[in-house]
Amino acid sequence: MSVTALRNSSYSEPRILLAGVLAGLVHLVFIALLIFGLNWKDHPPEGMMVEIWTELPKPIQEPVKTQPPPKQQTKPAPEPLKPKPEPEPPKPESVKPEPAKPAPRQAAVTPPVKKPDITMQQKPEPIKEIKPDLEQQKKKEQERLKELEKQKELEKKKELEKQKELEKQKELAAQRQREQAAKAQREAEAQRAAQQAAARNLVTNEISKYKALILAKIRSRIVMPPDLPGNPIAEFSVTLLPGGDILDVRLTKSSGHAVFDNAVERAIFLSKPLPLPPDPALFHEFRNLNITVHYRE
Amino acid sequence: MSTTVTQDMSFLYLIASASVLVQLVMLVLVLISFFSWWFIFRKHFVIRNEIRKTDDFEDIFWRGVDLNALHQRITSARYDSGSLERIFAAGFGEFNKHAAGSDLDAVMESTRRAMRATYQREMDYLESHLSFLATVGSVSPYIGLLGTVWGIMNSFRSLANVTQATIAHVAPGIAEALIATAMGLFAAIPAVVAYNRYASSTDQLATRFESFMEELSNVLQRRAAG
Repeated sequence: MSVTALRNSSYSEPRILLAGVLAGLVHLVFIALLIFGLNWKDHPPEGMMVEIWTELPKPIQEPVKTQPPPKQQTKPAPEPLKPKPEPEPPKPESVKPEPAKPAPRQAAVTPPVKKPDITMQQKPEPIKEIKPDLEQQKKKEQERLKELEKQKELEKKKELEKQKELEKQKELAAQRQREQAAKAQREAEAQRAAQQAAARNLVTNEISKYKALILAKIRSRIVMPPDLPGNPIAEFSVTLLPGGDILDVRLTKSSGHAVFDNAVERAIFLSKPLPLPPDPALFHEFRNLNITVHYRE
Repeated sequence: MSTTVTQDMSFLYLIASASVLVQLVMLVLVLISFFSWWFIFRKHFVIRNEIRKTDDFEDIFWRGVDLNALHQRITSARYDSGSLERIFAAGFGEFNKHAAGSDLDAVMESTRRAMRATYQREMDYLESHLSFLATVGSVSPYIGLLGTVWGIMNSFRSLANVTQATIAHVAPGIAEALIATAMGLFAAIPAVVAYNRYASSTDQLATRFESFMEELSNVLQRRAAG
């Protein structure tokens, strides 16, 4: 009795849930390790490409490219120097206002020129009574003050105008500077573009040169079938491997003479490895080559 | 190169782009691994608990407590009893059921039988799930290998359609296939280690239980004779 009771009770296992949680934790840690711990490369290494790049004439061309920019930098350098003299002219102009200050002095002197009018008026004063004289004098003084104020205002306006002119001139100078800088930039860009175009020309020259080389090599291996009428043209599409090996040759346009087609195809296979430019970056131009062979040159 | 392989090689992408069978294998392995770890922790707690309780009971028993009182305490507090306590309770209960004048050999025989039955049951309980760990340890590398072989087969088959074969065409497929092997090993290694450890622990417990049974039958025999 007691035995069976004991047996039934014996399987209340301790901490089943905790065990489950721990098991889950272990797996989370493992997955986290897999995802974050391992350095999963996003891009496969480019292989030999990198090594070849360092050895090839490109680095020699690059310094040629890098040298011109200093030239461009030196050329714009004198140009910024030109604008410098131009900001200087405003300084003389800023000096001009100083001579302009004497002008207000002259203006201050002019009132005495007007004074004669007052003196003229003052001369009849003795004829008139003293009271009006005093009043007149007061009025005149007030008028003078008013005139002085007006003159001062005028002077202020003039100065403001001069300042405005100065600012305008400065703005103009700045605009000129900007325009010159833009010009310099444009020139530099043009130079760069020219250099790039030159580089492109070099590249295209290189490509056309090697295409000619390939064609010449193939031509030299053709065992020309004798006495074909006209000038038949055979066109082939050749798939190349890096290094010049031939992967695939397909006849895209037959010349109409199977003998000639076969001769050209054989020649293409015989002329492997085909000459390729040493720069691997240009290889994509040669991956799929279209070769047209004329029977007569 | 027109066919530059710029594939995302992140772990999750590799799993997501694997073939259905490889994904199935991975799922099975994850489940197996989870259950194996669950049982590893469960057995760890159970066996540790059992060893502690056996230590405690042996300590109490050999200190010379009154056996009747001990039996009373165990049967009343049964939910907290360990395996050895239950073996003792079964044996002592069986021994007490017999009348004082009955044949000693027969009494001892039936006592031993009762203890042995409880012992078998307890050992069965302690060793439960250990066979699962052993199975995981031996089988899951093979399951992982199946996924890997399948994945590599697929990646090589796709290689046949490419004219210019590079390692970049095969690498992602092999990497994703090898994840299956990694998972299989991840499930297998702890399972094997835990199985060996728990098997030796239960063996030790079994020998302790057996020697205790012998000693208890001696004690009871002396008690009946004396």
